[in-house]
Amino acid sequence: MSGYTVAKLDEIEQMGDGRCPWRPIRHHMGIQAFGINSWTAPDAGDRIINEHGEEGDGGEEELYLVLGGHATFEVGDDKVDAPEGTLVFVAPGTRRTAFAEEAGTTVLAIGAPPGQPYTAFGWELWAPALPYYTSGDYDKAIEIMDPIVAEHPEYPGLLFNLACLESLAGRKDDAVGHLRTAIEKTPRFKDMAKTDSDFDPIREEPAFQELVG
Amino acid sequence: MTYSVAHLGELDRVPVMEGLEWRPIRRRLGITAFGVNAYTAEKVGDWIVEEHTEEQLGHEEMYMVVKGKATFTLGSETVDAPAGTIVFISDPQMKRKAVADEPETTVLAVGAKPGEAFTPSAWEWYFQAYAQAPEDGIETMRRGIAVDGERSPLYYHLACLEARVGRLDDARAHLARAIELDPGAAEHAAKDDDLKEVR
Repeated sequence: MSGYTVAKLDEIEQMGDGRCPWRPIRHHMGIQAFGINSWTAPDAGDRIINEHGEEGDGGEEELYLVLGGHATFEVGDDKVDAPEGTLVFVAPGTRRTAFAEEAGTTVLAIGAPPGQPYTAFGWELWAPALPYYTSGDYDKAIEIMDPIVAEHPEYPGLLFNLACLESLAGRKDDAVGHLRTAIEKTPRFKDMAKTDSDFDPIREEPAFQELVG
Repeated sequence: MTYSVAHLGELDRVPVMEGLEWRPIRRRLGITAFGVNAYTAEKVGDWIVEEHTEEQLGHEEMYMVVKGKATFTLGSETVDAPAGTIVFISDPQMKRKAVADEPETTVLAVGAKPGEAFTPSAWEWYFQAYAQAPEDGIETMRRGIAVDGERSPLYYHLACLEARVGRLDDARAHLARAIELDPGAAEHAAKDDDLKEVR
């Protein structure tokens, strides 16, 4: 890289996983210091920001900017009218979601954890496998993720997700191996593995228990 | 505080230099995990990003033109940047600058240092301070030191403002503290017109 990268937002390829399509700005530009992506709603009424809370250790502060169109945010128990140009900042641990009021509404989302370095987990590249994960076709999801994980060793989140898939598919040794590498890169995956039901099929395995405790 | 809301159009407009107006977002909304601000240029030819590098802070910076049109200069290259253009600069040493090609061009800027927890930058205090009446600016810099702690740039710009209003003893003491915290400040002080009476 020459030290800088330039792109037009609408030229960044959209990705989809059943939710509103998004543009993986951070991954596309090679940003390592913070997360940034945009979501665009095809139709009015679409949920443009999934409901989530950024709870727990590593939960991120998130700033949303309505780049075009009009949205309504729901933050905790409050509703926030958000026409173009609105900035909505939400602290970790607060439930939030947003709906498009107009077709084509686009929301930019920026995030990082307070008091900690940002880690790029690479969840953006998980999208092609998500439908198969959701439908229970774990072997197909693994087939998709294997080359992506090999191509992007810099993203520990992909390793963790691959380990989840392998656990669900009954590939115990592969699951433990990939989970071990993910934990080596990002120690907080150890705590996440303790409670993630995707690992229930291998939870009693001695190698898993030795790794996760 | 669990959430806060603002609108780009209602953000403060703090004049900085060469027509550049700083529109504080991070401070306004209480963000602590990354740097984020907007900048607006009222007229064509005004600066929309001041010429600088990120050598001191080590930040990655991403600019997005959200309104109007700008021309970025990145090292020796120029980049045409209509609305919707994203410019990401990974190299902290790269000199960068942008000027507006349309009135009221607005750029969103996001920055942080890879691999480190974010710390708010000292420039937020002195951008504000230099836009104020001198005595108010001095008070702003004192508040910056009280909030963010003893940092060389905060004492340095406090000294500059004190020198401007003739508080030379205060300026000497605070310049000395700035240099004590970062000996590199002496090099800047040697060339700074604000400090010619206290050098």
